[in-house]
Order: sequence, then C-alpha cells, then structure tokens
Amino acid sequence: MSTALDAMLVGRVYETGRALRRTTLRHVHLADPPLGIAMWRLGGERFRAAAVAWGPLDGPFQLAVAGEPRNRDLYFAALAPFAADLSARIRRAGSLKTARQRGRNTDFVPADATQIVVPNRTTVAALGLLGRYLAYLSDRGGVAPDPALIEAGKHLRFYTRHARVPGQSLIVPLDRLVADQWATLLSPFEQANLAALDAQIEPPAGTHAFEAAVAAEALARIGPEPTEDIDRLTDTLLADFNAARNGNTNPAVVEPLIGPLRDHYRGLVEPVWQLMGRVVAREQQLPTAPSVLRRFEADREAFGRHVDWVTGGGRYRTTDTPRQAAMTLRRLEDTLARYEAERAVEDPACMIPHLLDGDAVRGVVASVAEHRVRGRVNMVRRALIALDTDEPVVLPAGKKMWWTATAGDHPWEVQAVHPQGSGSRITFMLCAAPTPARLPTAGDRITLSTLHTRTDAYRLPLPQDPPWTHRPPVPPPPPQPIDMGDPEPPPAAVDGTAVPDPGRYA
Amino acid sequence: MARHIRPERAGETALDRVRGRAPTIRANVRRLAAFANVHSCPTAAVAFAARIDTNRILTGTTAEMPYGQSPFAIGRGVAFEVLLRQHGHAELRRVLTEGLGVDFSLAAIENLREGYEPNRTGLTLRASVTRSRMAEIIAAPPEPIVLDGAVLRADIGGLPAFFEADEMAIGVGGEIIVGENKSWPVVDGRPTDEEALGAALDQAATYVLLGRGTLDQAGVDPARVSDNVVLVTPRNTGLAPVLHRQAVTSRVRRVERLLGAVPSVTDIAASTPSSVTFDQVADVTLPEEARLEAFGDVTERLGRVYEPAGCLTSCGFAWACRQCIFAAGDPAVAGGPVARALPGIASLRRAAELASGAPPSSAEAPAAAPVARAGRLYDEAIPANEAAERRPA
Repeated sequence: MSTALDAMLVGRVYETGRALRRTTLRHVHLADPPLGIAMWRLGGERFRAAAVAWGPLDGPFQLAVAGEPRNRDLYFAALAPFAADLSARIRRAGSLKTARQRGRNTDFVPADATQIVVPNRTTVAALGLLGRYLAYLSDRGGVAPDPALIEAGKHLRFYTRHARVPGQSLIVPLDRLVADQWATLLSPFEQANLAALDAQIEPPAGTHAFEAAVAAEALARIGPEPTEDIDRLTDTLLADFNAARNGNTNPAVVEPLIGPLRDHYRGLVEPVWQLMGRVVAREQQLPTAPSVLRRFEADREAFGRHVDWVTGGGRYRTTDTPRQAAMTLRRLEDTLARYEAERAVEDPACMIPHLLDGDAVRGVVASVAEHRVRGRVNMVRRALIALDTDEPVVLPAGKKMWWTATAGDHPWEVQAVHPQGSGSRITFMLCAAPTPARLPTAGDRITLSTLHTRTDAYRLPLPQDPPWTHRPPVPPPPPQPIDMGDPEPPPAAVDGTAVPDPGRYA
Repeated sequence: MARHIRPERAGETALDRVRGRAPTIRANVRRLAAFANVHSCPTAAVAFAARIDTNRILTGTTAEMPYGQSPFAIGRGVAFEVLLRQHGHAELRRVLTEGLGVDFSLAAIENLREGYEPNRTGLTLRASVTRSRMAEIIAAPPEPIVLDGAVLRADIGGLPAFFEADEMAIGVGGEIIVGENKSWPVVDGRPTDEEALGAALDQAATYVLLGRGTLDQAGVDPARVSDNVVLVTPRNTGLAPVLHRQAVTSRVRRVERLLGAVPSVTDIAASTPSSVTFDQVADVTLPEEARLEAFGDVTERLGRVYEPAGCLTSCGFAWACRQCIFAAGDPAVAGGPVARALPGIASLRRAAELASGAPPSSAEAPAAAPVARAGRLYDEAIPANEAAERRPA
C-alpha cells in the first residue's frame, strides 16, 4: 500500500484538525442493531471475565458479574445467563433459513446471522480464550458443567476463528472498522484505542483532533484488560465481597453481596457501550458497498454450517491438523485477494493506493476499435482501446489488467505504451469477444487495474496424508482438561509496592 | 594541587548532574529490553545511561504515562513462583524432570533470593555465588544443580549492573541452561500473549549472553551456556506448570548488538552539554507547564527520535515527546511509515500544502510528487464538500 496516501491524509488531518474519510462506501455489513459485547477481565487472568455486558446495541445492556471470577461455581453461575442468551440468539438465527439456487442445486442458508460487535481486537482475542475455556469443559467432581456454557463456548470460538476471514462481518471489532474507514493522526499502535479514534473523528468544538485523542486516551477505559487504578478498586471491593460471603457460593447468599462490584463494572461498561453505539450509528450512515451482500452471504453460509454442526452435537478440534491449517491459510489468502479487489473496484477512494503503486491506471478512452486477430486456431474478433492517462505510465507489453466495470470478466492485455502529452497512451486489447457490456465508449474516464473479482479455478483438495515435512515426529499428546489445576483458593492480589521487583510479573 | 579524577568517576559526576532530582532505577533485564525498543533516541540513551526512571520523572503532569500493574496480575505471578518453590521445590523438580528428561528429584536447588540483603552488597554476593555454582556445573557433577534467583554482573555503558534471573543455571551434564518463569498461560501449546512470549525469550537471551560473558571471563568455553532456553508457564486455566524449550540464538545476537550500542557514560559525559539536566523536569514544586517546557528544552538539545509503537510501550517520556513533535508538526507523530514517506518535507503543514498543489522546493520534490498526486486522486474520489456532508454534525 502506498504510504504517500497516508502521508497526504495525515498532513490534511493535521491541517484541518479532524479525521478524514478513507472510503466513500462502507465495506462491512452492519446489522440494525448488532449484538454488542463488552467485557472486563481481572488483571493477568486471561480466562476470567470479571464482567460481561451484552445486548442489542441500540438498547440497554445486560451485565454478568461473577464477584469472584476465579471461583468456578460463582464464575459459571454468572456466565450462565449470558451463555443461554447467546446460544438462543444464535440457534434462532441459524434455524430461519432461506432457499438459495446455485445452478441446478438448491441449498438452504440462514436468512440472517447474529452479528457481534466488540470495542476492539483485544476483546475478540479475550472472547476466543473464553470460548476455548467453556467449549472444552469437562466434568469435575462428578458434576457435569452447564451445557449452555459449552455451547456458548463453541459459538465464541467459532466467531473468533471466523474473525480472521478478510471482509467478514460476523464479529466486528470497532477499532479495526473505524481505522479502516477513517484517516487520523494516530499511529497503527494507537489505533487500538477506540475512544482516541472516535475523538479524532468528532473532536469537541474548537479542539484539534490530536488534543481530543490525547484527552480521550488518558481518560477512557475500554477493556478487557484493566488498568492498575481499576484493579486497585476491584481488589478492595472483591476483598469485601469474599470476606462477606466467607466461602459461600450459594446464590441466595452471594446475590445480595455483589451489588458494589456490579456497580463498579456497570460504571466501566456504560461509557464503552455508549461509545460503541455512537461509532456504529455513525458508520451506518455511509452507503454500503455492493459486494458486502456477497460477503455477508458467505458469512451466513459459514454461520449456518457452524450452527448445524453444534446443534447436531458436533465438536471441534482444539488444534488444526497440518492439512486443515494449510487449506485454511489458502482459503484466507484467496479471500483477502478478492476482498481487496472488491474494495478497490467499487470504491474510488480504495483504488488510490493501487494507482499510486502502479497497479492501476486511469485515463480517458481516446478510441475504441474492433480488429480480427489470430487466436489459438482461427481468426477471432477482438476490441482495442487507446487510453490517454494523466500521468506517465510504465507497463510491459502483455500485462493483463481488468477494467473496474468488468472486474469479474475477462482482462485487457497491454499492447503498447507511448508518451502522449504529459501522460501516456496505452493500447489495450480485450482478451475475449467484444460485447457492448464489455466495452467502454470513447470519452469515458475509466480505471484498469491488476485486481479482479473473478472466482479462481476450482482448487483440488489436499491429500489426506500430509507429506513427511509436515508430520510431527511424534503425534501431539491428547489435550488435557482445560481447567485442571485451578488454584483454590485463588491467588491473593499483591500491591506492586509490596514486592521488590513488580516488573518481574508483567 | 590538582586531583586526578578517574574517567568513570568523571562520568558518574556528569550523570549526577544530568539526573538532578530525577528518580533513578536500577538496570535490569526488563529495563534493557525496554531500552532496546528506543535505543536510537539520544534522549532515551542519556536517560538509560543516567539510570533515570522515565516512568516516574513526569509524575504529577498530564504527560505521566500509566505504568503500574494490576495487583491481581502481580498476585498471580507471586503465587506461581510460590507454587514452584513450595515443599522443597517439588513442582519445579517435577516439571524439570518431565521437560528435560533428567531426574531432578535429588538436584541441588539453591534459592539465592533468600538470605541476602536486597541491596547492592547482597547482589554482589549473589553474583559471586552464581559464578561459583556455574563453575561447579561445568565440572559435570553427578546430580543436576539449579540456581533460583541467580545474579549476573555486566558492565552496561561502562557502569556495573546486576541482572537477576529466575532459574538461571540449570546444570545438566556440564551444560548450563537458562530458565525463566512466567505466569501467563499456554493453551494447546500456544501462548495466550505472543508479545509476552517475545519479551520472555528476550530476557532469557540476555541471561544466555551474560552467562557466556561470565564463563568467558573465567576462561571457560562460553558455548557451555546453551541457547536452548527453558520457559516454565502455567498450562491452561490453572497454575499447573509446564516446561517449554526454545532456541534463542538469533535473539542472543540481537541483545549482543544492543548492549554494544549502549553509549558509555564517559562518552555521554563528554558529549552532553553541561547545562542539560532533568532536574527541573523532575521538580514537583514547579508548575506543569514549566516542567514540560524544561523537558522539551532538554530533548531539543539532546535530540529526539519518536517512534510510536516502540516509545509508547517502552518509554515513560513518550506522551511528552508526542506532545512536542505534534507542536512541531513532525510527521513522526503518525508513525515511522508516514515519516519515511516525507523525506525533505519539514512539517505536516507543509505536506498538506504540497498535497494541495503548492510548488515544492528542490529538496522537497522527490517526496512531494507522490503526495501531490495522492492529493489529486483523493480530491477526485472524495470532493471536500462531499466529505464534509458525510460527516455527522
């Protein structure tokens, strides 16, 4: 990607004091409303969601607070309503299917899929760990875990794995969405802070985007990882809670004691919830790119397969086999290439980096002519166009490029490039029989690029047995129970001033 | 009669002056790792050599960065160490036996964190014991030896520093293996935090390098310190420990280069203007504006290299530096790639002018052409009035 575009945008943002749009279209599907999820963990406890807030983003959230999330009974009891509600929503969405005709085949895909939005990519990772924990719970002390927890764990794991798919809309980390759609003064590292991004887009009147982002960064607490000041307060409240319950996990005893901790986390979630709602509402105003429909259909298809698998009692491996990993990687690479192509051919703003990098040319069609040339065997009809570009262009003869209006069709091949005024004249030949839909008209201003949205040829599946280079010398050991060795009672919190070198525990 | 002053004493005096009232911090492996991320910055180099605690020097100003840790995170780390040590290091013996394939049930495990004063004298004694035990390991005793809390001494920038390791010197068959304990979990053989794994391996690589230096000074083959290090972490959601082996050869080379790049205190003493001091910056009796102005003045005179990803994660000066470079319109505010795209262009304001078609100077011309073209293409794709219309009120 061209850094000149970023440099130009950063200069203008600095000058105007406000963020600028990177795109003219929204390239991600946004449900109305999506299901929002925000969470907070205890510091250093990567599997313990101290608080989970969820609900449709246009309304109030529900809040699950375990009190002591390191106690298995309290933790699972608090997560149960979240797990049950999430599973019910996903099952409901997965069961309402619509017929889809593909050639002579009819298949059924969910009419809609439950879309989850979260504040940032760290929350996606945190939900993935929570899913890994819950999906593989085993019996403990002869007591089977709540099936809703296991099902919710499988759903969360599916969502976080699906988050790797370029252009997907099943789970949307808002920091990524905003950073892709807006140019700001924030470096890639700072773009992980949703509050800072939001402040650059809508700074208070009279305040420069930079100053607004600095203030937001200092004050905002987004989660899921708590800062020291949050956990100092949590520590005090948690100590009081544990002292009052005195080891008791009976809901009738615990529920009346949990109020202060619930208020603590409610106060942390509320600004995040408002921020998420504001960001989603702003992005929904932008028109949706045409290809979003196709990508969301692919999402719905994957969602439907997952729901069918889970409701049928299916289980997932904890770790991909080498064959699965190779096939997944290939699929992700293909999806990324198509996503980038779709963005660029649909959105003129997304084509700019390709124009700057020399992967695309733009100009005015000077002439359109038809010729007969020798094909592989017979003489065939072919169209030739002359394109006058604004800038000088260097392209090798034989290079294939696609006109953005027919990016899913046949390419044009470069025949010759000559200097013309301040730019160049490029002669292209269409690599297929000319039809009116395939041809621009003289005087049109068009863009051709190396990007195309044509589906590649069918890929053969990989052999069942991986080659020796991809076989481990010894088979991996079977996974052990995920919650084996949980300390009871949980470790006590330790103030950083009480240990000689607190940095050791970072 | 004129007194002769040793070079290092002169250097220390100069650094005392540079430090002024600034809070200090002892050099340790994490401080070194943090410096690795900002070592190209002259201000950071002087602060590192002067042992200035960059996290605390701006306390009380809006530029003070949050650096504390959750008490739960510290508690988890402490609990994990306690678990490894309790009952005569039973868990540590088990995990080493399973992970290294050598019986550690009769291993001599010495905890150097106990019985020594938590000061420089204590560290000196521990470093001496570490050297002795390393010599014993090289002699290949019949039972393994483990040093818990080994201390290695090294000269950093010409000043002696002590580095405290976790299980530095696990001696097996005459070979020394470096070990490190971390309390973040590993699930399905993968870390839950890749950055934390990288930092832990960097720490272990530093111990490998320092251990080799110690052996080299004693005239022993430095290769006896293995570059296959040991990492002990909890497995899955609990604290049950598990051992991992990892080669850190390339990291050792990187740390070696980094240590070589640390400026010597005598060089700093010679090159730092005598009027440069962090004294006012650290003076909490002064108003914030005066302290930040003093900071800006110091960094202006020493030189400043701001790179957001490295600075914001590793240097307590980062917020203050960011404010300074924003005020100057420095392209580095948005990160290295943007700054590198604008060579010869003095400021972001000038970049905006060039993007709108202002004629470039000869120095600006190479970078200005693509920026101006980007500006034209952007205006064609998103006219200014359209962008304004789409922005919510």
